[in-house]
Amino acid sequence: MNNAQQTARVGLFFLLGIALIWVTFETLSGGKVFQDKGYQLIAGFESLKELKEGDEVRMAGVKIGEVLHTRLAGRHAEAVLRIGSQFRVKNDATATIVMAGLIGTNYIGIDLGSRDAPDLVAGAEIRTKNTPDINSVMSEIGQLSQKLEGALGNLGTALGDDPNKPGIIQKIDTLLTENREKIGGTLANIQQITDKVNKGEGTLGRLVSDPKLHDELVSTIEEIKRSATEAKTMIASAQAIVDQVKTGQGPVGTLIYDQKAGDDLKTTIANLRSVSDKIARGEGTLGKLLNDDTMLRDTQAIIKKVDRTLDGLDDTGPISAVGAVANGLF
Amino acid sequence: MKPFVRVLEGVGSTVQLMVRAAYFLPTLPRQFGRFIDQCYLIGYTTLPIVAILSFFIGSVLALQAGYAAQNLGPKQFIGLLVGLSMARELAPVMVAVLLAGRVGSAIAAELASMKVYQEIDALETMNIPPVRMLVMPRLVAVVVMMPVLTIIADLVGWFGGAIVAKYTDFIAIEPASYFATMRQYMDFGDVMNGLVKAEAFGFVVVLVCCNIGLNTRGGPREIGAAVTRAVVTSLIIILVLDYFVTKALS
Repeated sequence: MNNAQQTARVGLFFLLGIALIWVTFETLSGGKVFQDKGYQLIAGFESLKELKEGDEVRMAGVKIGEVLHTRLAGRHAEAVLRIGSQFRVKNDATATIVMAGLIGTNYIGIDLGSRDAPDLVAGAEIRTKNTPDINSVMSEIGQLSQKLEGALGNLGTALGDDPNKPGIIQKIDTLLTENREKIGGTLANIQQITDKVNKGEGTLGRLVSDPKLHDELVSTIEEIKRSATEAKTMIASAQAIVDQVKTGQGPVGTLIYDQKAGDDLKTTIANLRSVSDKIARGEGTLGKLLNDDTMLRDTQAIIKKVDRTLDGLDDTGPISAVGAVANGLF
Repeated sequence: MKPFVRVLEGVGSTVQLMVRAAYFLPTLPRQFGRFIDQCYLIGYTTLPIVAILSFFIGSVLALQAGYAAQNLGPKQFIGLLVGLSMARELAPVMVAVLLAGRVGSAIAAELASMKVYQEIDALETMNIPPVRMLVMPRLVAVVVMMPVLTIIADLVGWFGGAIVAKYTDFIAIEPASYFATMRQYMDFGDVMNGLVKAEAFGFVVVLVCCNIGLNTRGGPREIGAAVTRAVVTSLIIILVLDYFVTKALS
């Protein structure tokens, strides 16, 4: 092999290597020698979970940037996002940490936001929403399984897994076994009753099979309904009266709700009480009349005297009677 | 104590050799023919074995990953596993190991025999620095050729894995899915990491082999011992350096 041929092979081999490196570079890194700096956005989260530098930032599933770095900012964590200069993020768009797989790969997902909202400028803080991670979901599932276990335990107890503690099913079984004859008799009676009802025997049977009785029952029910309606009307009227009374209208209302009338009534009652007290004590004419026997006796004596006088008048005639009257008057 | 002193001597003479080679770097245009020769030897003639080895390493990796993922589920990540493993670790290390076995041994044997048969002394007598003629072109050639060999090893390994992933019954992943996960989770930084490692390994392997060859003393038996020592030392240095370079680059 001459030198020229050897040199050509080496040159070709070298160029092949360079070409392969370039192809690999194009395939894996998109062929950007100088990375597009784009612009930065800040996304604050309670926890960045598994998010790390270099993770993707996607909008509607399309890669628009990457996580430049992560940092602690006071009581929360912040991810600085590098967004490609050709992509615009609306200021009402929300960023969330999305889990791409169960092996701990995360990315930041940004929604599209509203069409008319203004774009976020470089260095602005994007709205974020904290989502539950796999650990909290698993924890919830754990709690749920505990509850399920408890419920199944209760069900097991009810079904009577433990022979020492009979469950509800076993109790029902025991009840049925012990009362088999009684239940059989009850069922036979029910059968008998239903047979009679079918045949139209007895009150219930006739009610079921006799149309006349049925009509009477229906008319009775209608009567009851009518009575109920009248009662309702009456109650409504009574209610109206009560309302009137409550508003102080009419004599009863005035009596109950008018202060002056009440006071008058009290005064009247007090006067009556005073009069009755005096009568009871025998004071005054009426009191003496009721309590003092002397007056009764005097009255009886007067009546006797009058009686005797009248008897005398019978004898002297009418002139004497006129004369006596005249004497009495003058 | 004596082995420790010999190790220190080896490190010292290797560093000296590197400095002298760097000193003669401006004379590269005059050594262009030798440079091309070494490129041909280090790169072009090593390519077939690198391609074969990388293909099967990628295949085996996919097979083992598929076997492991059989009960796990996410088989599409086999692409990512093979891609990252080849790019970051296996391709640079395997190319360096092949270089040590194929080229390093040849360099050590050539320089040791030149030393034993006093050709090196003759060069020095003619006032031709042996480092300028024998070491510097090799170092430059390996620096130029290592990335080419490594990227070919990467790509062949990835394709080997893709073929196995498609045609193995219990894996059965389409190449599109295989390469999609690779593209999604890998970037050129991973490949670059491997290229830098390969560069470091290749440079050190050639430097160590040249140093051992030039420091050979004795007769023909020492030539064989020098070759053995060169290859063993190179392999140890590759693996030790691998740890430190990986740590430095991560």
